[in-house]
Formats: sequence, structure tokens, C-alpha cells
Amino acid sequence: MVKEFFISLLHYFVDITTAVIIAAAVYLTFSEQQMENVILWQILLSGFITALPTALLLCFDPKSVKISVILWVIHFLLIFFITLILLKMFGWCRITPTSVFLTFIAVLFIYFFTCSVHYLVAKKHTAWMNQQLKIRYSKEKQ
Amino acid sequence: MKIIIEAPQPNEEDVVIVRCASPDQRLISMLLSFKTVNTELTGYLNDKIARLNYQDVYYFESNENRVFAYCSSDVYEVKYKLYELEELFNPLDFVRCSKSMIINMEKIEFLSPLFSGKLEAHLKNGEKVLISRQYVHSLKAKLGIEEGE
Repeated sequence: MVKEFFISLLHYFVDITTAVIIAAAVYLTFSEQQMENVILWQILLSGFITALPTALLLCFDPKSVKISVILWVIHFLLIFFITLILLKMFGWCRITPTSVFLTFIAVLFIYFFTCSVHYLVAKKHTAWMNQQLKIRYSKEKQ
Repeated sequence: MKIIIEAPQPNEEDVVIVRCASPDQRLISMLLSFKTVNTELTGYLNDKIARLNYQDVYYFESNENRVFAYCSSDVYEVKYKLYELEELFNPLDFVRCSKSMIINMEKIEFLSPLFSGKLEAHLKNGEKVLISRQYVHSLKAKLGIEEGE
């Protein structure tokens, strides 16, 4: 369980940080702002802080789909509020209805990006496992 | 190491011959578990008592302190704990896929990923079974994709 937690933490830290850098790059390009080097450390810290609840969520294994969906919604909202707190803390922008809306869109993008990356990796692994199953049981049938 | 499976002559008993320079501990324990494993189970269905062959079982599931063996159409209760069945059938093609379930890998038609990180096993009888994230690595290890712990 502990090993699983740290593996998930590392995976999600890398994925979230990559997605935050993409989101920051898009934002800085369109707003034509300059970036200070301290922002890179802030991005790494925000990646780590948001990866923590994600790794914790993955430790739970709910049997029912309903509980699973509730947990994912709570997780999304938690990530969204953590991001808002980090925005305020790092002084990345002022909290206004527009910035809250844009943050929501950014978190949605990061969420979709991270889930898609994990889904694609899982898809690749499953194709490999299906191939192994096929080899194993087609040989046994012969 | 090569694995050769030959069909015996008619009326000849099945035999396992190991040809190696020095059998290591892993090989000996594997052969011993294969030799001693009980491949038949007693299943209870209402008033019926049936002898179940492990090859007919799709999966075992525990529910409210009772354990059931799911075959192609019938569901039998078995008088074992899930961890006992896991120990008993682990040398064969059974693998733990969640806290309450052990699946027969031979009965998996194919696997598909889910967005939640779990896998879905599509069984040969049309049923779908969820494989928890925590147990995906055991399945991979059984399939020879990942190293077992």
C-alpha cells in the first residue's frame, strides 16, 4: 500500500507538473508576460501538493460506482480549491470571478490531460496483457 | 529454459519430466505445489452437493463471510475462506483481482482499461469483472510482464 502510494505520487507529480507547465506556457504566450525563475519552483511545489490528494484517492478502492464517482468529484473540487489557494499564495493572479473561471478551465484541462495520459498508458499495458493471454491460452488449447 | 509439452500415448498416464542440471528451490516448490494442489472442490447449491473442477470456475467471490464459485451458469457456495482459495490455486491460473475476488485467468476473453485506473476483465461467459489497481501488478506478474514480489 505504501509502495503503491509513492509510485502513484511520483507518476501524478510528473504528469500534473507537465500539464501545469503547458498551461503556464499557453497563458504566458497569450498574455505576453515575462516569467521569473521562482515560478518554476512554485510549479514544482504546486505539482507536488496537487499530486498528494490524487495519490491518496488512489489508495481507496470503492466497490460501488456511485462512491467512486463521489470520490472523484470531491477530488476534483479539492484540486480546484487547492489551486485557488496556491494562486493567491504565490500571487500569480488576483482572485476575481474571471480568474476563478479561468482557473476552473485550467484545472479541467490538467485533469483531462492527466487522466488521458494514464488511460493511454493503461491501454498500452492492457494490449500487451491481452497479447500474453492470447499466447498463453492459444498454446494450451493446441 | 525450454518448456516442451508432449501428448502421451493412448492409455498412458500423464507424467512431468524435468531435465535440468540442478533443480533450484523455486522449481522444486513449484513442482511440489503442482503435485499437492487439490484441483477439486465441493460446491453447494441449494440442496445439491457437486464436485467442482477448478477449470470450470470463472471466479471466486466472497460476500458477507460466504465464498461462492461462479461457473458458466451456476453459482456454488464453497466452504473455504478466500485467502485459503488464493493459497490453494495460486500455483494455477487463479489471481486475486480485488479484495473480494479471485479470477481464473483462463476464463478471461480480453482486458480493457477504465478511466479510474482499474481494468475490466471481459469473461468468456459474457460477464465483466473489475480488476482493482492494487492487483493489476499481480496479474502482470502472472502473465510474465512484471516481476512478482
